[in-house]
Parts: sequence; C-alpha cells; structure tokens
Amino acid sequence: MKALRSPLAWGGAVVGLLVTTALFAPLLAPYDPHAISGESLEEPSLHHLLGTNGIGQDLFSQLVWGTRSVLVVAVAGAALGTVVGALLGAAAGLAGGFVDTLAMRVVDVVLALPALPLVLVIAAMVGPSRAVLVLLISLVGWPVVARLVRGQVLSLRQRGFVVLARGFGAGRWDVVRRHLLPALAPVIISRFLVWVPAAIFFEAGLAFVGLSDPGGTTWGLMLNEAVRFQGLYFTRLWVWWVLPAGLAITLAVLGFTLVGIGLETRLNPRARVASGPGRQVRRG
Amino acid sequence: MAAVRATALSDTWAVTDVVAVAPAIGVAVRRRRPRLGRLGGYAVTVWVLLSINFFLPRAMPGDPIEAMLASAPSTTASDRQQREAAARYYGLDRPLPQQYFSYLGGLARGDLGFSIRYGRPVRDLLAERLPWTLLLALASVAMATAVGVMSGIQAGWRRGGRVDAILVGIFTVLRGVPPFFLGSVAAFLFAVKLGWFPLAGGRVAFADDRGFARVADIASHLVLPAATLGVLLAAGQFLTARAGMVSELGADYMLLGRAKGMDERRLKYAYAARNALLPVVTLIAIDLTVTASAAVIFVEQIFAYPGIGRLIFDSVTFRDYPTLQGCFLALSLIVVTLNFLADGLYGRLDPRTRT
Repeated sequence: MKALRSPLAWGGAVVGLLVTTALFAPLLAPYDPHAISGESLEEPSLHHLLGTNGIGQDLFSQLVWGTRSVLVVAVAGAALGTVVGALLGAAAGLAGGFVDTLAMRVVDVVLALPALPLVLVIAAMVGPSRAVLVLLISLVGWPVVARLVRGQVLSLRQRGFVVLARGFGAGRWDVVRRHLLPALAPVIISRFLVWVPAAIFFEAGLAFVGLSDPGGTTWGLMLNEAVRFQGLYFTRLWVWWVLPAGLAITLAVLGFTLVGIGLETRLNPRARVASGPGRQVRRG
Repeated sequence: MAAVRATALSDTWAVTDVVAVAPAIGVAVRRRRPRLGRLGGYAVTVWVLLSINFFLPRAMPGDPIEAMLASAPSTTASDRQQREAAARYYGLDRPLPQQYFSYLGGLARGDLGFSIRYGRPVRDLLAERLPWTLLLALASVAMATAVGVMSGIQAGWRRGGRVDAILVGIFTVLRGVPPFFLGSVAAFLFAVKLGWFPLAGGRVAFADDRGFARVADIASHLVLPAATLGVLLAAGQFLTARAGMVSELGADYMLLGRAKGMDERRLKYAYAARNALLPVVTLIAIDLTVTASAAVIFVEQIFAYPGIGRLIFDSVTFRDYPTLQGCFLALSLIVVTLNFLADGLYGRLDPRTRT
C-alpha cells in the first residue's frame, strides 16, 4: 500500500475532510452555534453529540462552524501574505539597486519584530474582525516570501535561458511571464502551503486569548471559554469540551503540514531549476 | 503516523524547519547579515517597536482615552481621577511630536503608565511577573535541550532505523499540537486524574513556608507548565540535532576516525555530535525568545501561572490597554535583544562564519 506511506495522501484526506466540513457546515451542524439549544453543561447525547457548554450552546455545532472560520481566516491570510510577499520580492529582485536594498531592509526589520505579541496587541486594540485577522496573518507572513522570491529571481536572472531570451530581444514583461513565473510558481506554492498551518496556529492562538471575529465561532474560542470555566477539570466536561477542539486544531495543522511536505518533494524548486534550461527550452 | 515514511519526512523538515516555523512563533529567521548592519538593524527594530507602541492607541477610532475607558469596568470609566491621570499620561492636548518625545522620555524613566484593571503602575506589575516567566522559560528550555538533543543524536546516528522513525513521527505530531491544548491535556492527566502535581498557580497561596519547603513548592508548581513547553520546544531541538548529526555522518573526519580504529562512542559524541550541535546552540537562544513570547502566553493561562503571559491574557480580557502595551513592549524588547545576542553568539562559536 503505497498510499499509506505517502504524506500527501494522509494530508490530502485530512484537508479534504476539513474543507468538506467547512463547505457543508450549515447542513452538518444541527444547531445555530450561538443559539442556546439545550440545558447548560449537558452530557453528550443524540440531541447534542458533544454535549453543551456553560450557557447551553451545542458544542458539536460550534466545532463544525469553527472549521469554516479557521479555514477562511488561515487560508485567506496565508494567500494574501504569499501574494503580497511574492510581488514585492519579485519587484525588488527585478528592480535591483536602491529599491532592492530598501525593500530588503524593510524585510529585515519586519522579520525581527516578534510576531505573536505584535499581532496580539494590534488585534486587541483595533478589534479582531475577520478582515483584521486576515490582514494581521498576512502582515507577519509576507517578508519570508519576499526574501525567498527575491533570491530566486536574482538567481534566475543569471541563468542561461533568461539571459538568452533577453539577448534575443525579449522584453522585461515577456521574460517575467514566460520564464520567471513558471519557475517561481512551485516555490511560491510550497511556501504558501507551509504558511497555512502556521496561520491556523495563529488564528487558534489569538482566539484562545479571546481575539476572534465577534460574529463567528472558532476552535480557539471554544478552548478560551472552556479554560475560563471554573469547574472544567472537576467533571468529565473536559473530555467533550476541550478534547475535540484541541484535536481539531492539531489535526488541521498536521494535515496541511503533510500536504506541504508531500507537495514540496514533488514541486521541489531545486530539482526543477537545476535541470532548468534544457527542460524549459524543450517545454517552450 | 508510523505509516508515514519517517526519513523522507524529516529530511524535508530539516530544510523547511527554521524558516517555516520561526515566523509563526515570533522569531527572526536566522541569517548572516553584513557586520556593519547588525547593530544598526537592532537599533532600528527597537525604534520601530517603540513607535508602534506609541502610535497604536492614537490610531484607534475616536479619542484613545474614551476608547480605553469605555470598555473598562463602569466604576473605572466614571472615575474622574482615572480619566485625568490617563489624559495627563498621554498628553493628548499637546502636538504629536511633543507627545512622542515626552513618551520616549517617560520610557527612559521606566514610566509605562497605569493599569486600568489593577490601578497600579504597569512597571510594578511587570517587575512582579517577569521573574516567574523567566523561571518558566529557563526551566522549559533546559528540559527541551536535554530531551531534544539527546534523542536527536541517537536518531541521527542510526538514521532510518526503527528508533529514528518513531522519534521523528512523535516529534512531527507534537509540532502540530497547540501549546494551550497540550497544557490542558497535561493538566487533566497529571494534575486532575493522577494528582501528581498542583493544577494551577506558581506556589501555594498565602503559604508562609521558607527555605527548602518553599523551593519544593515552587518547583512542584513549575513541573507541568515547564514540561508542556519543554516537550514542544524539544521537537525543534530534536529535528535540528538530528539533521546536524545526519549531515556529519559522511564527513571525511569520520572516515578517518573509523580508519584509525577509533572508539564508536567517541566518534559519536566527541566528533559528530560536537559539530552537529552548533546550530542547536542558536536554537536554544531562539527557544528562549519563543517561550518568552508566544508559548508562555498560552501555557501560563492554562496553569494560572503568575507570569507575563497570564497578565497579557487578563489585560486582553479586561481591555486593560496600558498593561497590554507594557507587556508587549517588555516581551518584544526581550525577544529582539535575545535574537540580536544569539546572532552575535553564533559568529563566536562557529569560526566558519567569521570572515
């Protein structure tokens, strides 16, 4: 069974499950996650698969709807950060000179800022709407991408096929479109995939501190409410309040990590770029 | 997890490892900058942090004091004295540049404002909490290093073996576990179910024990939070030590050592491990900053540990912005400074990075 040994298969299965849950949340969740649908602190039953929380909201419904919040924020944040970082990095690498130096100084400074405390204090003061969370996640993500893409662009510019193309009179935009973008795509995609689990971590961490979209429900927020509940550890409550949400975060991080690992070996930029000119020419 | 091919996994990790995970947990990615820029870069970073801290409350919608006090408990909000104290502190009637310089001057004197929730100077709160956080950070990093490095050496030495596969699987899964969840699991198992360690706090409240009894009390409260953080950090140490070990295995000096008939244990520890552990040294510094920033916030809350992390959690919950800002500034400066020092340390330890 080769599939059983492939990180991509395992990760893909987990990610597929999460995406399906997120898409069909309204159908899967028996209750409105905010509605008080039962007694306070009910044990799991057929009506409430994971019981209810301190004010009688259905925990299973919260778990299902939480999938959607987490995925939307994490994927959007990682995607925005990746796109912005890739554009800035490519621009810096192509422009060179003063623009490049300046851009890399900015990257240095942003990278040196401690991400979590910074994001936390901004989210707390500005107010954690969904858009703010997405912006904050992309804010801490873009410099890494920018640095990486810039390095790739610098090395690609020196490669035979690009130098040749320019020598034959290809314009700058032409080179970008026909040669740089195809070569950069695997790097950018695998960086994005590495960023999604990190973004999930961020989203969960902020929500755990109480900083999540006030209109939504999310796994970290479930944990926040559970941990602040006084008698949490002294009944069996812990098993259906903390455990499912915690496992969900772990599973999501692990799933996306495995997909990233699996795809990275497949999209490995070094393998592609190293065998680059010949392959690229034959393809073109 | 055992089904996943362990070696393939860990080799990819070794590459993506630091770069991929570091930004998530608040650490600058390791790199070698030109010597000239290092101190300058540090200075700029500190200045940016101080400025962010200055502009944040002013960028908030409406009057910062209104926004600040409106969300505080109503008794505080209507307290005129509180309002005047806040207004005086922020000096909002003066022009912005003047505000900025008086802010910097205040910082130089250690003035961080007043906590809305506690009604005390933020500086005093920080001074009270910081030692607890430092204790927790040091204990967990020591633990992580011991566990992670030793298992990393063993796994790397027998790369691809059964022990290697199991360890890589365990630590890869651990990397995905959020610290607050692992902490909660530890609290549930070891404090509630088994009753081995206290569930919460830094020491027994109102205890007047002295000497050894007091040390033992603090230590027993420290075990669970430190172990939680330690296990998570050990994952990074493990992967780094293992990758280092693997890359040293094929080195010429190893071949020479073998040819000379050198003792295997000596080759393993005195030769391969010694070279493999250089990156681990910097990782220790990184870990200290990670615990001092990210993980501490979560783990302290789980165990009600009386450090900075708990203070941050509380000030978010009660919208105690001056305290939150004070914590942010203190943590950020610690992180940035430790990173700066670690950068320098690496150059000293590894002669190859000196040019």
